[in-house]
Amino acid sequence: MKTGIGVFVAAFAALGASWAGFVLAPSLQLGGTKVTTVLNSTDEYPVQRPGEAALGLQVYRANGCAACHTQQVQQDGTAFEVVLTGAGKDPVTVSNLAAGLKLTGLTKEAADAAAKTIADAGGKTETHLSGTGADISRGWGSRHSVAVDFLYDAPVQPGSLRAGPDLTNIGARAADANWQLVHLYAPKAIVKDSTMPSFAYLFEVRAATGSAEALKLPAGFAAPAGFEVVPTPAARHLAAYLLSLHADAPLYEAPYSQLAKP
Amino acid sequence: MSEDNQKNCRGNSPGEPTATRSSAPMWIIVATLALLFLGGVYFDHNSGWFNPRVYAPYHSVDQLEAYQPKSGAAAALAKGKGIYENVCGICHGADGMGKPGVAPPLAGSEWVMAKGYNRLAHIPLEGVNGAISVEGKDWTMAMAAMGAALPDDDLAAVLTYIRGSWGNKAGEVTGDEIKKLRADMGKNPAPATGDQLKAMPE
Repeated sequence: MKTGIGVFVAAFAALGASWAGFVLAPSLQLGGTKVTTVLNSTDEYPVQRPGEAALGLQVYRANGCAACHTQQVQQDGTAFEVVLTGAGKDPVTVSNLAAGLKLTGLTKEAADAAAKTIADAGGKTETHLSGTGADISRGWGSRHSVAVDFLYDAPVQPGSLRAGPDLTNIGARAADANWQLVHLYAPKAIVKDSTMPSFAYLFEVRAATGSAEALKLPAGFAAPAGFEVVPTPAARHLAAYLLSLHADAPLYEAPYSQLAKP
Repeated sequence: MSEDNQKNCRGNSPGEPTATRSSAPMWIIVATLALLFLGGVYFDHNSGWFNPRVYAPYHSVDQLEAYQPKSGAAAALAKGKGIYENVCGICHGADGMGKPGVAPPLAGSEWVMAKGYNRLAHIPLEGVNGAISVEGKDWTMAMAAMGAALPDDDLAAVLTYIRGSWGNKAGEVTGDEIKKLRADMGKNPAPATGDQLKAMPE
C-alpha cells in the first residue's frame, strides 16, 4: 500500500485536531478554575455542598433530572440604572434635572453621561448594573452561569433541554424542604398543570406514627386516613441538593450590582 | 476490451477534453482573504482572546473591568463589611459592640462619630497603647496597627463601614484621604495613647 503513511498521517491529524479542540483547549482555558470571592466582599465562592446535598447530586443524576431541567442561566446583555442618592445644595434644580433624564435601561456610555450631568449640577448618584435576557426576566437568576458555579459538582449537570424550568437558583426560589418534597411526591399538588412525573417511589406510605418527617400534603393528594407519606433517604438527599442550588453571587466575570443590606 | 476503447481511455483521441493545471480565479482568492480578515476582526472584538473570565455578553477583559460595579457608597459599604469581619470583627465583634476586657465598642463610640476621620484613622494605622476612654468607660489597650498592612482603598472602605453602620452616621472616607494621611504620618509610627489621640485634630 503506497499511500499507507499518508492515510495514517491524515487520520492522526483529524483525530488530533478534534482532541485539541474538544479536550486540550477547554482544559487549558478552564482547567485552572478555582475558588474565587464574591464581588465587593471577602466571602468565598462557591462553597462545598453540605453532605446530604452532595449525595443528592447522585440521586439527581440517577433519576435523569437533567434530561428536562437545565442549570445554566443565559444573559443577553446589560442595563445600567442611575439612582439619585443626594440632591446637593440646590435640590430643586437637581431633582428637576434628574426627572427630565432617562435613568433606567441605559448603556454604559449613556449612564456615565447622565451621572456626569447630575454631578455637574451638584447631585450625587450611584450607578447600578444588571443583566438582561429572557432567563433573567423569568426570575431564573441575576447573571449568566460561569464555570466556577460547577466547581464542586462531579459530574456537572448543566442539562440542555428545558421541558421544565431552569434550576440554577431553585434553592433560593423555593427555600422550603417541605415544598421540595411535596413537589417531588406529587408535582400537580403544587403546579396544577405540571408535566413533571411523580417521584412517588422515592417516598414510603406507611401507617401513621405522627412522625415529624411526614409530608404536609394538600387535600386531594394526602395519604389515606391512618397513613402518612415519609421521604426515603434518597428523597431527603435530593431535596437537600435542590435546596443547595443557588448560583447567583455577583462575581468578577459575572458582575451585577447587589444592593447593600446594611 | 477492444483495442479501440483502450485507445480512448488513454485520452489519445483528438477532440477529447484534457485536464490541465490552471490557477484559481483571482476573485476567489480575494474573497477568501477578505472573509479571513473580517473573521479575524470579529474574533478580535468578540472573543476576549479565550480569556477564561470573559463570557458573553461581555467581549473583552477591558470591557469587563469597566463594567465592574465599584462606584458608590453601597459598594464601599459591602467591601468594608467583608474586611471588617475578617480583621476588626474578631475583637470588636461583628455587631460593633466590642468585647469586655478585649476591645471597646465601635457602635456609638465618640471616636468613630467624630466630625472628621483623622483620629479614627490613626488608630488602625499606628495602634493604641495605654489608657483610652470610650463612651465614658476607661480601657487599657494594646491594639496593634491592624490596618497598616491594608491597601488605602480597603482601609477607607473599612472606616466608611464603621462610620456608617450599627446606627453610626458619620461620613465616607476615601482612599485618597488615607493615602494623604499615611504620607503625613511617615514610616513606622509609634502607637498612641488616648491623650495623644485627643491632642490631634478631629
